[in-house]
Amino acid sequence: MSLSIYNARLLDPATGLDGPGAILIEDGMIREVSSGATAPHATAAESLDAGGLCLAPGLIDLRVKTGEPGDEQKETLATASRAAVAGGVTSLVVMPDTQPVIDDVALVRFISDRAKASAQARIYPAGALTTGLKGEAMAEIGLMADAGAVLFTNGDSPVTNASIQKRAMTYAASRSAIVMSRPDDAALKGSGVMNGGAFAARKGLAGIPPEAEWIGAARDLMLAEATGCTLILDQVSTPRTLDLVRQSRDRGASVFTTIAAHSLFFNEIDVGDYLTYCKVNPPFRDEDTRQAMISALAAGEIDAVVSAHDPQPPEEKRLPFGEASFGAAGLETTLAALLSLVHDGPLDLLGALAPLTCRPADMLGLPQGRLAAATPADIILFDPGKPWLCDRDELLSRSTNSPFDGRRLQGRVMKTLIGGKFVFTR
Amino acid sequence: MSKAAIHYSFDHEHLLGINGLHPLDITHILDLANDYAEATRAGRRADPVLSGKTVVNLFFENSTRTMSSFEIAARRLGADVISMPVAQSSVKKGETLIDTAMTLNAMKPDVLVVRHSASGGAKLLSRKVDCAVVNAGDGTHEHPTQGLLDTLTIRRNKGRVEGLKVVICGDITHSRVARSTTLALHLLGAEVHLCAPRTLMPSGTETWGAASATSDFDAALAGADVVMMLRLQLERMDGAYLPSRREYFRYFGLTQERLALAKDDALVMHPGPMNRGIEIESAIADGDRSVITEQVEMGVAVREAVLHLLAGGRP
Repeated sequence: MSLSIYNARLLDPATGLDGPGAILIEDGMIREVSSGATAPHATAAESLDAGGLCLAPGLIDLRVKTGEPGDEQKETLATASRAAVAGGVTSLVVMPDTQPVIDDVALVRFISDRAKASAQARIYPAGALTTGLKGEAMAEIGLMADAGAVLFTNGDSPVTNASIQKRAMTYAASRSAIVMSRPDDAALKGSGVMNGGAFAARKGLAGIPPEAEWIGAARDLMLAEATGCTLILDQVSTPRTLDLVRQSRDRGASVFTTIAAHSLFFNEIDVGDYLTYCKVNPPFRDEDTRQAMISALAAGEIDAVVSAHDPQPPEEKRLPFGEASFGAAGLETTLAALLSLVHDGPLDLLGALAPLTCRPADMLGLPQGRLAAATPADIILFDPGKPWLCDRDELLSRSTNSPFDGRRLQGRVMKTLIGGKFVFTR
Repeated sequence: MSKAAIHYSFDHEHLLGINGLHPLDITHILDLANDYAEATRAGRRADPVLSGKTVVNLFFENSTRTMSSFEIAARRLGADVISMPVAQSSVKKGETLIDTAMTLNAMKPDVLVVRHSASGGAKLLSRKVDCAVVNAGDGTHEHPTQGLLDTLTIRRNKGRVEGLKVVICGDITHSRVARSTTLALHLLGAEVHLCAPRTLMPSGTETWGAASATSDFDAALAGADVVMMLRLQLERMDGAYLPSRREYFRYFGLTQERLALAKDDALVMHPGPMNRGIEIESAIADGDRSVITEQVEMGVAVREAVLHLLAGGRP
């Protein structure tokens, strides 16, 4: 079984390839990348004329929450992956913040088994760093890693006790496990619900000060230096955090950063009259900060972009702002959010794709995320200029709490392949 | 009649905050409220402009004073009034808000007066109902009728608002009164100075129209025409935001000596309820420069005007 996709604009951020060509897929793997080719591969049993669409590696999303197990009314692995492939996301790391928490081997296997049985996308479980995410006792990091957990995190409730965090990172380092941590000092965050500052004060909403992120980041960066643990700072939102990262890297720490796609698109003013779909943590910052983060992404200072997909049903969002839950659905809008930065100028296409493909792949040591022979044929075909209106009623995830609802976006996935098979066609 | 007055009409569907009002709107409400105040003082009955209308008071936070004020205002205009002090139950507060609102909406009231502990509570409710909504206080956001009654009290006593120096002192961060009153006074041209310990002063008060924000009460008081003290929640004085009550009173309490720094005819105001001896000396609260009871009186008048404009047709 072989397929040649031709008449495509090949985009491979791993090699910098951006030009016309064709690819040959055989047995679920990329067999050949033919830059400059104008005709289908002669040996292919089937061929597809891409019609000039962009052909890129499928997106790899390091931070997705679903409700499975325990909150299936919010999202299941199946519904999340249906939304994912429609958004061009072919590999996703699911967070351990479920009920029960993914904190032992059996639950890691449960996620893998459920994913194989029900999900189209490739699902990679993240294990809990501490048992029950309580921040008290470290979970079975080694055994879960052996069972397939790709990283370890306390998810949305970072460990508050620095000593426990240090020991967990020390242990993780000895198992060569990656720790992902939200830089968020719980006490400073307090009861904050949006970006701290003049706008929050005027709206009468408690603010989350940027120091909460800086102090959380400084702690984990210093612990990464001290323990040698590979650290992913999960969803950074201010340039000063990147300064801290730079300093730690200069001292030899192995540190990566991610940013949520929506925080590159929205600023605090989008909260407007208490729009709870814009209630996320880290919060949308002010416009200067947003612009600085876009510049940092363009300069390659942020390693990966994540959807931070966090499905929340209406009963969690149809509340006064302060009482509504945090989180935004994001799987179907991540690519469009990044493409908006391409259309607006600050990013080029390869620069927008790298933090969504080869860079997260390299962080986890995954073979996909690039157009290279002998790697899995996880491929998207997208039209970077196609205009569309984001209507939450048309989103495929089970919860449609998207801050993009009602927004006009440009750039859409037309086809998605995983392991050489079409899993989505628009 | 000025040109502006000829073309003016109050075309707001709800009163959710001072933010969003034009100075003309405020002046118009105050003029009407002043007429109502004078009528009441003269013992005249107001026209029953709300006859046949239903006003529902929906209070998710306890407030006997504000609820009674709205109730009296609505009754004076001939409305049918139902007051619902909805106790904060263990049920999720927000669900209570929307579900209760939907239920009440189905009963077709003409005005919903709502107080809720969450900022934006009144706005959320206004999106779900078909009738006029009056915000009677939403979290730490706004309390527009308080802002209006403060402004009216000042205007009546000083004959104007424009150019006056007003000092508002207390817990600015958590005060919806500070936000609404500052906005209203600023829109009418007063110079509003905010004063609070640094831990209770939010950033960006210039966007509300405040001329300054300081923690030096004595300096702020120099030449003040009006001194408004805010209530300090006692639980905020336990060391979390302030060291102690006595330290607060030492630096921010309104004493006779301190009041002497303001103009001789400076008004003393307080939105109530007062913590006597903590933010204000009893002698001042009860003294001849205090207009605190007149604030309460103007509260009813302002609420009559607001209800009239939202539900009673053109005055």
